[in-house]
This record gives sequence, C-alpha cells and structure tokens, in this order.
Amino acid sequence: MKRIGLLSLVVAMALPLVPNPAEARVKLITLPVRERVEVQLDHAHATLVEEERIVPLVAGANQVDFSWANTRIDPGTIVFRVIGYEGEVVGKNPATQPEVNVLSVSYPPGESALVWDVSSSHSGPVRVRISYLLGGLSKSFNYRAVAEHDESTLTLARYIRVQNFANEQYQDTQIHAGLGGQFSKPIGLNETKEILIEKIADVPILKTYTCDLAQYGYLDPAQKKLRVPMHYVLTNDEDHGLGGESLPHGKVRIFQKDSTGTTAFTGEDWGSFTPIDDKMKLYLGTAQDVVVKRTIERRDRTKVGGNLSHFDVIVKYEIENFKDQAVVLDIAEQINNLRNETGLGSNQQAEWVIGEQTTFTGGPDAEESSQHRVLFHAELPARAGDKAEKIVHMLHLQFRNQF
Amino acid sequence: MKRTLVLFCLMIFTSPVIARNIDLSTVPARDTVQLTIYNAEDLTLVRETRVISFKQGSNPLQFSWANTLIDPTSVELKFLTKPDQLTVLDTTFPHDKPQMLYWNVSSEFSGEARVEITYFTSGITWSADYTAITNPDESSTHVEGFVTVTNNSGEDYEDAQVRLVVGTINLVEKIDQLARRGVEPTSSAQGFDGSSVLGRRNQAMLGAVMEAEGLLSYSVSRELGEAKQVVKEGLSEYFIFTIEGTETVPNNWSKRLRSFDADDVPVKVQYRYRANEYGNQLVKMFLMTNDEESGLGESPLPDGLVRLFKRNHTGSLSYLTQQPVKYIPIGDKIELNLGQDPNVVFELIDLRAFRDNIWGSIDARFKRRFDDPTVRIEDHGRVEGWDEHTVYAQRIRNYTGKPIDLEIRRAFGGDAIFISRLDTQSHDFQTVQYTAQIDTGESRDLVYELVQRQGSNQKQNRVEIMSADPADVPWMN
Repeated sequence: MKRIGLLSLVVAMALPLVPNPAEARVKLITLPVRERVEVQLDHAHATLVEEERIVPLVAGANQVDFSWANTRIDPGTIVFRVIGYEGEVVGKNPATQPEVNVLSVSYPPGESALVWDVSSSHSGPVRVRISYLLGGLSKSFNYRAVAEHDESTLTLARYIRVQNFANEQYQDTQIHAGLGGQFSKPIGLNETKEILIEKIADVPILKTYTCDLAQYGYLDPAQKKLRVPMHYVLTNDEDHGLGGESLPHGKVRIFQKDSTGTTAFTGEDWGSFTPIDDKMKLYLGTAQDVVVKRTIERRDRTKVGGNLSHFDVIVKYEIENFKDQAVVLDIAEQINNLRNETGLGSNQQAEWVIGEQTTFTGGPDAEESSQHRVLFHAELPARAGDKAEKIVHMLHLQFRNQF
Repeated sequence: MKRTLVLFCLMIFTSPVIARNIDLSTVPARDTVQLTIYNAEDLTLVRETRVISFKQGSNPLQFSWANTLIDPTSVELKFLTKPDQLTVLDTTFPHDKPQMLYWNVSSEFSGEARVEITYFTSGITWSADYTAITNPDESSTHVEGFVTVTNNSGEDYEDAQVRLVVGTINLVEKIDQLARRGVEPTSSAQGFDGSSVLGRRNQAMLGAVMEAEGLLSYSVSRELGEAKQVVKEGLSEYFIFTIEGTETVPNNWSKRLRSFDADDVPVKVQYRYRANEYGNQLVKMFLMTNDEESGLGESPLPDGLVRLFKRNHTGSLSYLTQQPVKYIPIGDKIELNLGQDPNVVFELIDLRAFRDNIWGSIDARFKRRFDDPTVRIEDHGRVEGWDEHTVYAQRIRNYTGKPIDLEIRRAFGGDAIFISRLDTQSHDFQTVQYTAQIDTGESRDLVYELVQRQGSNQKQNRVEIMSADPADVPWMN
C-alpha cells in the first residue's frame, strides 16, 4: 500500500527530550491505528479532519509523537482531546477517577511533527481524538434535474463532489458536508468521489420569459427587438418540495423527458447559492417565439421653475406570442438605464412615480421591484391558428424634480 | 552536546594578561538559569548562577558566548555570596575575540562564592494562543489558553525557570543588532564603562522585572500528572506569567504549555453590521468577557490567535474560525467574528427616492417675446438647496432555528435625518445604531427613511434621529 502522507502516532515511553535537535531522537514506538475518521466539510474555506485512535499509556509520564509528511496539516490547529480509558484500567483504584492530562507540546525543529507530554494516572489504552485543518481536501456541489415532458415538474438530484488531493487516503470515512446529513465513504489518494445527497421528485417548475434591456440586451437591435430568455425557476420552500436547507452554489444540468421516455439534454446553468424561500433561476436558452419590440414612445419635459423640471417617459412594448400556449412575460426596466437612454442621466437619485398611461394591471411586482428596477407581468394568449395577436403595453414613468 | 555559553576561571596568578596564547582554565557549570521573555520585543533577560572558587587576590574570569545572540553590552556579573569581599576591578572586551569578555575580580578571601550573570539575548520568543470549543447550542465555551516558547537563540537552556512578560516595553536599540555589532560605540551609546551596562538601558522596565523576582516563587513540586500552573502577576504596566518548575527548551525547539483552562464560559451570539469594521456584510459574533463571572479574568489575555471550534451533537468538532485578538485586559470583551452566516439573509433594499424643500435663486434676467411684448418669463433660476429622501428596507430572514439579536450601525455623511420607528440610538455624530430581535423563521423589513439636506439646505454635518413613520412607497400600494 502506498503510504504518502503517513500520519503516524508514536508513543515514546517516558523518554526525556534530547536537547540537541541535530541528533536523531531515540524512540521506542507503538503505532496506534485509526479507529475512526470524520471529515467535516461544513466550513466554507477549511476542511477539518478528526481521527480517533486508541493510545496505550503507562501510569506516569508518556510522550505521544504525532508526525505528518507530505500533507498540508496546519499544525497550529491540532487539537488533542482525551475521550477516556478503554476497557479495563490496570490497577484502578475505585476511589479515584482515572485521569489523563496533556502537560505540554514540543515542536522539534525541521520536522512536521509534534510531541505531546501526556500524564496518565493509570496504565491502559486511552481513546483520543485528534483534530486538525487539512489542505487539499475540498468539496463542490452539482445538480441534475430531469423535467417531465410537459415541464410542469422536475426531479432534482443533488450531489456532492469530494476531491482528495491531501496526500492521505481515508478508509470508511464519515463525511459531513454541512448539508444533507452524514455519510460514510472511503476516499483514496487523488480520488474524486461524487455522492448523491438527495433526490427530490415532483419539484414544481415555474417557467418564465423575461425581457430586460439592461440585463439581456437586444435580439435584433435594428428592429428594437429584445432578447427573451427562458428560465426554470425553482422555489426553495416546502410548498415546492424543497426548503429544508439552503441550496449551495453549483452547476445544474437539465434534461427533459421526450415522448419516447428517454431524456434529452436541454441546457445547463450555474445555480447560485439559494437561501430558504429564495428562488433559483436557471437560464435554459432564448425563446424565439415570444417577440418583444421596445421603443420609447414619448419623452416630455414640464418646467417647474428655473432649471427644475419633471419628465414624462413612456416605453412602448409590442408583444407577439407565436407559441401555441399562453405564457406570462416578465417585463423589467432598470430605472437608471432608462434615464440614460432618454438623456436624463444624473448623479442624483431618480425620483419617479408610475404615470397614468401605464397599461399593466396590478402595478409592479413588489418582490421583484425596487427603487432601481420595476418588473411587470404581461399575460400573453396562445397563438390563434397561425396568427399571433399583437399586444401593446405602455410603461409611463414620471421623473420628478430633475435639475 | 553543544555548549556555547562558557565561563572560564583562568589559572593565572598574576594580574590578568589578556592576549595570551597558552591558557589553562576551569569551567564552572551553570547552576540555575532563569529566562524572562518579552513578547513585544525580541528580548529575553537571562539570569544564571554559577559557583566559582576564588583565590585571595586577583582572579581573571572569561565569559564567552560563541554563536549566540547575546548583547555584549548587557552582560553583568554580581556576587551572591560575600559581595563585600569580591569586586570587579575591570572588564575587558578583547578586540580580537568578538564574543568574549574578561572580568578581573579581586577577592579578599580564598574559597567558593556563588555568582550571578545576567544578560540580554534575542532569539527566544513567546506567543499566546487560544483554543475555544463551543457547545452544540453555542451558549457556552470551553476556553484553553496556551503559551509557546520558541528558542532560536543558539543556546540550549536546560531546566530553566521561565517567565513571560506581557506588555509593551521601550528599547532604543534592538538586541539582535547589538548582538551582531558587539561593543563598538554608536553615536547614541556614549560613555561605556563595561561593568554595569545593564542598568543603563531601561531602568523602568528592568526595575519592574527585577522587583518581580522577590515576589514570585516557583520552587513548587506538584503531583505527577497535573498540568503545570502558570502563575500570573501584575507589575507596573506589565504582567508576568511564571511557569511552575523548570522547562528545558533546546535550541530551535518550541514548547507549548497551557496557561489556563476555563470551562463553561458564557457566550452571547450577536449579529452585527458595521461596514467600517467587518465590511459590507452581516457577521455573526461570539462575545465573551474576560472576567471572573465568566470563569476567566485571572489575567489579561496577551495578543494571540484564537481558534474556535464547535462540538457537534455527535461529539465531533466543526471548525468555525480563527482570528488574532489584541491584548484583552481583565474585564474587557472578547469578540470573535465568525463571518457571514448562510442561515441569515440580510439585504438592503432601496424602496423610494424623492426630493422636497427645493429652493432656488433667481437672478434679474428675464426673456421677453419680441413678437408679443406681453409675454415675459424668468429664465435663469437655479436650484440651490433641497432635501433628498430615500426610503430603505433592511430585510432580515432568520433560518438559524433560534431567535437572533441584531445590531446594525450605519454612518451617514453630511446633514442627515434618520426617520424610523426602530429601536434606534446615536453611536456617534454620524452613525446610527439600531437593534432588533428576529424570531426563528421570521422575515422582517426594518424600514427607515434617510433625509439628506443638500446644497444650501445643508447647515450641519451630523445625523439627527427622529422617531416617526418613514414616507410611503406609492408603487407598493
């Protein structure tokens, strides 16, 4: 067996430190094996390894030597915890509690090692836990989503990928990623292991079509036709089969079942970190059958006095849905982009109100809108025969007190 | 074994002649040694005792320190026995032997005497660090403090009494520079007399340390198996940690000892937003206090790295953070920043901006329509002052599984009014602090309006707090 990054635990019985570091340290050693290993991947930037070993101690002073070669253990983070004696304690006096104390730690020069001076009240095997931060052992997450043929729901599988470039192999290791419970897997040297965390069926899909000039641009600038990307939106809450915990950042590969029962790959996107109750928005591609022509219909100035004016800006959207099903189109405007586009750019904040000539019903979406962005929903009927109905919407914004 | 520090008694029965090629000498062994190590400077005061046989009359002594980092100007000889009958007549630093000196000692008797040699060395340092393990529900913490002594001085110190000094001292020259330079005079070091340079360097600091010697006793024998005690003693502006018994720290080795162990130190978890301290993010803080009530407070906590772990329900550890802390006096807070908590969502949403109280100046210029003399308009007015209003929602969502305490500080420049119904107070003239408790699973918008007086409306440079409802947001209605 290749032993790179050997973590050896050496017990040198009651040998005093030899003060000259240039000379070899004379040791009589036993090699307590790892009883159990846990890898904690729950921290965003650090990996903590905790190993349990049974160390035979004699009554009195003991030296426990811990060394590591070719691994990136942060020696400052090593924590030595005594769990207790194992089995029968030799010469135990029922009146006294067996006690193990770490007296000091010595760091020999030029070695990846340390020596614990440990005192033991009795002779016998002692279970200890040694924890340390280790470099080279990392994690990432990814998802695989299989949508039903009608795109109403999907099955979401979440995977964790653990990469072991730590120069140490871990057999039957308990791995805890901070998400999705604990599991036990061996991870060999330089091995990458992908493990299914959970698979959730019937996650409802909200399919959205969005136009937002500032974010997605034009499909045809000459004709002022906007790009209309299509997204799958997954809501991380209980109503949508999720919501147990935040969804970590990771690549989402999306497949769709076809009529023959097999699946076709329909796209992939990076799913951003999604807290509970938030939405994971996955871009699948541009919808060519929803056509949106956007023009500035009006830009009027009303002088208030001196250099102070109000401006009325009306944006016109001519929309055609060539799909054979009704869809909802999300229309967003970034306020400052619209101001710049209409020559009203200013260092001052935009003071705006929605004007009376706005045709969208219900006002801006309160969750998706803010001072800097408004988003409206427009319902588009399905194509009737081979003719798509042209729907015209106006967004009237009054920019007030500009100077 | 490497022995670099040697004291020779030269077997010369006349007045000492230094430049001699053939010498006979005896080597009195080091009897005791004490190290007083400073953490603020690369400085250690070494105090060693040796027993020397003197003859009546003149006794040459040679002290040498090859391959070490000793400051030769600091070496001092003191007689512990019969000091009234022993005198250092002169001290010579031979020009051809850089790490050596000769003392010419006059004795009024023949026999043994205990001498003490003190000197400064660089290369021995100590540092503090702390390991804190919190319980699963983050209500209390087990805190262990450690001191680590590192010896790169070139000399092995066996069975040394070790004392560690916490505090900032003043040195006019670095010890390692003095060790390298030897006793050559510098522009600022005038009038070298060789016999008692030590006393000249920093009377206040050394006085304090010398005084400590009388106060502290460390000849304690403990039961085998108990960790050594570290005795803490306050002295002037310093704190001295004395490690019980003696320690052997060979050259190039480090040794780490536990300085205290406190169980069940109460922890308060608070979520803070302070952009100038923690960046533009809400951070989770662990707050502890270095006092007796918390099981701490035995001494100030020296500068050092704190490593924080959490014990899970299964007994295993999770790593939370590590961060350096500055010197924490007794009674002061220990604040540990755990960074962002993914289970608390923190967003600042701009809801509305508007202007009012708009003032302008009008100059005397008018335009008249030439084809209709009745039309005359003022044309050259300019806005000079106005109030800029912004309405914000500070949205917090708590998915941690328990209520959280929130403290937010925001600084506003200029002449500003902070209008809200929040639990608000002024932190300083430009900074508003507001607090809230967010229940488990709750999503709450902490809404406030900021009015910033601009142009000629700006009369002050401070933020005023007003308890009132923020302005409506028409598009949300």
